[in-house]
Amino acid sequence: MKKDIYLIAESDQGCITPETYELITFAEELSGGRLPTVIILGRNNETQAKELAEKTGCNVLSVTSDHLNLYNTQAYSDAILAILPKDNPSWICLAHTSTGYDLAPRIAVKLNAACITSVEKIQGNILSRALCQGRFMADIIPETPSIVVTVLPGAFPASVSESNSPGSIQMLQASVPHLKSKTLGIKEVEHRDSNLKDAEVIVAAGRGVGKKENVSLINELAAIFPRSAVGASRSVCDSGWLEYSHQIGTTGQTVSPKLYIACGISGAIQHVSGMKKSQNIVAVNSDPNAAIFRVAHYCIVEDLTTFIPIMIDEFKGFSLMRSLF
Amino acid sequence: MKILVCVKQVPDSGDTLALDERTGWLSYKPLTVFRMNKFDEFALEEALLIKEHYVRTVVHTLSVGPERVGSTIRRALEMGADYGIHILDPSEGYISPFAVASLIAAYARDKGYDLIMTGVMAEDDMACQTGQLIAALLDKPCATSVIKTQIRPEDSTIMVDREIEGGRRLSVRLEIPAVLTIQPGINTPRYPSLSNVMRARIQKQEVMRSEDLPLSETRERCKGVRLPDSTSLGIFIEGSSREKARKLLQALHEKSLLL
Repeated sequence: MKKDIYLIAESDQGCITPETYELITFAEELSGGRLPTVIILGRNNETQAKELAEKTGCNVLSVTSDHLNLYNTQAYSDAILAILPKDNPSWICLAHTSTGYDLAPRIAVKLNAACITSVEKIQGNILSRALCQGRFMADIIPETPSIVVTVLPGAFPASVSESNSPGSIQMLQASVPHLKSKTLGIKEVEHRDSNLKDAEVIVAAGRGVGKKENVSLINELAAIFPRSAVGASRSVCDSGWLEYSHQIGTTGQTVSPKLYIACGISGAIQHVSGMKKSQNIVAVNSDPNAAIFRVAHYCIVEDLTTFIPIMIDEFKGFSLMRSLF
Repeated sequence: MKILVCVKQVPDSGDTLALDERTGWLSYKPLTVFRMNKFDEFALEEALLIKEHYVRTVVHTLSVGPERVGSTIRRALEMGADYGIHILDPSEGYISPFAVASLIAAYARDKGYDLIMTGVMAEDDMACQTGQLIAALLDKPCATSVIKTQIRPEDSTIMVDREIEGGRRLSVRLEIPAVLTIQPGINTPRYPSLSNVMRARIQKQEVMRSEDLPLSETRERCKGVRLPDSTSLGIFIEGSSREKARKLLQALHEKSLLL
């Protein structure tokens, strides 16, 4: 028997997230083109449910309740479990976001399902996911009737519907369980660096920088480009080498400059998701197997602490040459 | 307060890992150095900060894995944990997050922990599951990616901020007992003090064999580990360091990225 496929849509400030449309592509690959059923939760979902039904052609289950307004683990998982048919084995697909990875394991436990997270590829029943910052891939085969999957943002293209007929929309009201946790609100964090957003060139530091003193090399390299800014991976900010305002990636900023130079960055997906839309990517890393080389256009296997001074030195000669001719 | 911090031992760097055809998993070379998962260091530090703030708090630390994992539990004791538990599981192959969480939940179920804390993920398998699975198995509220904690003894709750996409935070209040997975950057993990190092050297760890705990059914298996498909469209610039720098500058110049 074919398993039913459900996917959990996410919206952010009233808009369906791009990851939701990527999930639809994943679900289609999973089923050989059969459309999944989309579940969307919130306080008032009518517009989003309509958008989903029209853009994807999928049938949409819209579950509403006041306590689904902001994400809450238990409220969301109870609401989802309440509408899944009890005995049909199914795939439940979520995006690997702060909502998706929070929710997936809880749903899996309640369904006695395998839970496979941050999946990047599917072939038959084999789900592939990265290990050790993308250095290796593991091929996982679920062995339970129902399966819960989170899909890595950016791993699949967003689905563009070819069907002209919109899916059906079913509106459901969730009952209010006793909640052991209460979501109180969303806070904006005030350390955004507007330089990053406007920069045409970003030179970014990763753990390979090694120590705080070496951050000056990153600054010097950035200085040879006009309209440039300095970025950083999460671990550089966690180490206190640069402020969080420089952080690029899932929990930092998303950028798409003309040129991105990743220095000593391993290429963990949490970072890559924030910079992969850059028009030109240069990676400098001493490890030839670093995952960053799979997204870079120009790959340089060198230790940044020796290479950056050479590059700056060559730049001086280079600009002198051009000023003469 | 009684706190359990779950820590994982991971290889220090991917460089010393190889693919093992026999186990279908990663094999560790003699040179492989093991240490505590960095994400778990933040969880342990947060527990120790709570202990400093609330008298009569005890911090237990637990790890699942083979013999070598004892050194990571000792590291946790050196940092200031009061008590170490080692669930001895000899397997070196793939062990699913569900299997690990089931062992931890079976151990913790009747121990009366107010908080169970762990890192948001492990550096090696990057699954982001174990904490949430423990919470679901024990039917406790859970918050992931926690970047701030504040205990409210007056109503037995804990207020946390979760880090979510776009640099924003979601504030959540959880009833205690609760499970938290901790985001890096929440604190600065400490170095062990000399007195704790001396204590940890002689302190016995509670060792429990995984086969003595209830067995969880297998939910998935790992078919194998491999190198990623090479999807690089990029050019590896070759030559001496100087040649590489020159070629790169030339390429950037041709694309008008350099004035």
